[in-house]
Amino acid sequence: MKHSISIFWRLKDNHYKIYVTKCRDCGKAAAFKRLRCPHCGSQNVEHLESRGLGELINYTVSYYRTEGSEQYLPRVVGLVRLDEGPVIVGEITDVDPNELSASTRVEAVLRKYSSDDPNGLIYYGLKFIPIIKR
Amino acid sequence: MAYSGFRSGIIGWGAYIPIYRIKARDIARQWGFDERITDSIWMEEKAVAGTDEDTVTMGWYAARSALMRAGVDPRDIGAVFVGTESKPYAVKPSSTIIADALGISTKKLSTDLEFACRAGSEGVRLAVSLVESGAVKYGLAIGSDTAQANPGDVLELTASSGAAAYLVGPASESVAVFEGLVTYVTDTPDFWRRDGSRYPTHGEGFTGEPAYFHHIVAAVNMLMKELGLKSSDFDYAIFHQPNGKFPLQVGRMLGFPKEKVLPGIVTPWIGNTYNASALLGLAKVLESSKPGQRILVAPFGSGAGADAISVLVTDKVLERVGKAPTVEELLSRKKYISYAEYAKFRNLIYRNLG
Repeated sequence: MKHSISIFWRLKDNHYKIYVTKCRDCGKAAAFKRLRCPHCGSQNVEHLESRGLGELINYTVSYYRTEGSEQYLPRVVGLVRLDEGPVIVGEITDVDPNELSASTRVEAVLRKYSSDDPNGLIYYGLKFIPIIKR
Repeated sequence: MAYSGFRSGIIGWGAYIPIYRIKARDIARQWGFDERITDSIWMEEKAVAGTDEDTVTMGWYAARSALMRAGVDPRDIGAVFVGTESKPYAVKPSSTIIADALGISTKKLSTDLEFACRAGSEGVRLAVSLVESGAVKYGLAIGSDTAQANPGDVLELTASSGAAAYLVGPASESVAVFEGLVTYVTDTPDFWRRDGSRYPTHGEGFTGEPAYFHHIVAAVNMLMKELGLKSSDFDYAIFHQPNGKFPLQVGRMLGFPKEKVLPGIVTPWIGNTYNASALLGLAKVLESSKPGQRILVAPFGSGAGADAISVLVTDKVLERVGKAPTVEELLSRKKYISYAEYAKFRNLIYRNLG
């Protein structure tokens, strides 16, 4: 799958950071920047940057091959509940799928996602790793 | 001029070591070396970046830890330097990717520096100059490398991956203030990688005496002379670590007992992280240092040059250690891999794709 450089560049901020929409009316949080609260429909919302910490709810292993990402297979794709509340889908890296377990504490890290070809652009974005002790 | 006047210092520091390790003996066995070679240079294992890691991703992690410790607004950072000899792009800066991903101001100086293993410390010196001149409030210097080695070359026993980052700012906010900084540079053909060449070449007998030892000894002696200090005035001494043996040897030459050098040694367990090597050693020492202690750090880069930097630790260090992963925590986080996995991770296996 060939990436669009212009689309990637326009969405850069969303690849490099995780945003959470917090509703000032109902108090609930939702993943990503939204103009409206998906829980109550209010437009009285604020956008916060997530600290990138959360808990793995569940995960699966994907062997699906896309052009430019062959070297990263297999991929572990997980559901992560951020500490701010929302649940997002994210790739889990630095793990052996056979040793991974739900409820693992994770942190977001910048990693390579794919590359168009050896001469093309490298696409960076956030993935998750088991949290480094601190 | 070595005297910095305590006007700037380290506000925050960060480290990164990839999770994967390969035993040095496995590399030696792969190529039919006598396995005792690993003992002769004190190399036990080295860190290996995963397939989705590179200088940018590791530098980002170290820099983010430095910002977490510093607690400053990224928009106040006016300079970002990345010292590396393993740029993901030959043309396109790594520093801009890291800066944007961290939300650092767009009003900044931002560049990648190359001087073999000491470009990261040159970044520290540039950041110090910019802060002390008043041109910027904070400057970020990162040393990050996924070091290359020709498979089967003795260099493969040590060349590894890692990153360290230092946020430089006003002395009043610092965990360690700069007392003095000097650099000694000559044209010495000890190690190089030609443009377009995949692996570096080393000048055999040139790597030790005329390069590493001569430059570090010259830089450290220059610093001590200009500051009026002697080796006994320092509590710790950290040197560039191409292997585990050289830093102890150069420490002896300069009159530093083993006890002052060992706390900053990291290479026997993670390999030579090139631009992060001495800077990771400094991070490790800072994390266990006490206010009032004086630390010497002397990075070296082939080609060749060495820096000698003296810092004095302040009481602010104690509250900032726990705000990000420590070097000890990163050292103990590891998964062993085989030579085949290492070859896959470091892209040593050619595949036809598509």
